[in-house]
Order: sequence, then C-alpha cells, then structure tokens
Amino acid sequence: MSTMDFFTAMEVSASGLSAERTRMNVAASNLANAQTTQTAAGGPYQRRDVVMSSVDVPGTRNTQFAQAVRGVAVTQISQDTTAPRLEYDPGHPQANAQGYVAYPNINPVEEMVDMITASRAYEAGITSMSTAVNMAERALGIGR
Amino acid sequence: MNVASIASPELAGVKATTEITGAAKPGKVDLADSFAKALENAHNAEHTATDAAERFANGDPGMGIHEVMIASEKANLTVRYATTVKNKALEAYRELMNTQV
Repeated sequence: MSTMDFFTAMEVSASGLSAERTRMNVAASNLANAQTTQTAAGGPYQRRDVVMSSVDVPGTRNTQFAQAVRGVAVTQISQDTTAPRLEYDPGHPQANAQGYVAYPNINPVEEMVDMITASRAYEAGITSMSTAVNMAERALGIGR
Repeated sequence: MNVASIASPELAGVKATTEITGAAKPGKVDLADSFAKALENAHNAEHTATDAAERFANGDPGMGIHEVMIASEKANLTVRYATTVKNKALEAYRELMNTQV
C-alpha cells in the first residue's frame, strides 16, 4: 500500500477518534469523582486532564510526509494540582480538625463543556473519515 | 466469529497463474501480478478486520468500536479495489478475444 493514499487520512482520523475517546473517558472519570473525598494516594480525587501530542502516522514513517501529516495521541493524563474545595461538615468522617472536608477541585460545568467538545471533535473526525472513504470510493468508480 | 477467508483454495490458482505469466519482462507491470497483489492486500485487510472484531468481542480494552469499524471499512475498500482490478483485467481479455480476424 502506498504511503499517501486515502488510508493515510483514515489513519489520521482514527488517531483523532482514539484521542477523543480517551478525553471522553477522562471527563467521565472527573464527573463521576466530583464528590470523591478519599483516594488510594490520600486526600480527595484530583481532576485529570489529557495531554495530546502529534505523532507519526503508521505507514508514513521515513517518508517525506512523516513530518507533514501528523496523527494525534494522548501521551499523558496529568493531574490538576489546584487546591481542593473545602466545605464545612464536621460530622463527615473525612473532616479535618477544623471541621472542613476537602472535596475534589472539579467544576461539573467545565466537565460538561469538555464532554461536549470531545463529542463534537469525535463527530468531526468521523466526518473527515467518511470523506476520505467517499473519495476512495469515487476513485474506484473512475471509468465505470 | 468465523468468517471465511478471502484467500480460499479456489482462488489459490490465481497465484499459480501469476507464477507462469511472471516471465514477463522485468519492469513491466503484469495485470495478473497486480491482481495478485491487490488480492493479497485484501486478504491482509480482511484478516486485520476479523482480528479487530474478535478482539472487540473478547472485551479487549485497547480495541474501540471505531477501530473495528475502520478496519472493516479498509477491508471493504481493498476488496473492492481487488474486484475492480479483476474486472478491468477480464474486460481487457474479452476485448482481445473478440478481435475480428
């Protein structure tokens, strides 16, 4: 298979879809843990963020296009280290000496926005994938 | 999931034919040769798609729905490419056979 056919566009779109899927998973994790006060590492849950990097597209490595056409991948899921939200609740088992409970630094509205962004970006990836497939199908129809 | 492979024994003869006609001058592209290559690509893509579907069905966390769909779409495209090459070769052959003498 040549390196710059429509499959390259499909590979790029596929890498974007995988990255957006990971972003969706991370947003879901943040939303689910918005009230988590206890973790294995101690302290409340810390908000997670994806770090996306451009990567080589399989098949274009060592070609002149390797640097021109880039795929994307989530290379790191970092933890947001902003201070936890303190709520006064002396009866809570996780309350400190002053009666405050540390809740995760998560704003559900922000997470919803992240989720919508991931969803739209996924849609965009699907569209570019379908376009590449359509173009390949049109090419197959040449001379018919 | 057990999908019959494209490279079935009935099609194995195609490759044998390629070997016979492979005596063509070097540097020239043989239609049968290009069909054999297209068929091999289709076989590989089909194998990848089956593998992806199987891994997804087995609950492999690294295999997403879109990866399965993309693999099967690639298989679909390569199979259609192989079919198109075959049709073109047949068309050319029929054209020659119908030559009036």
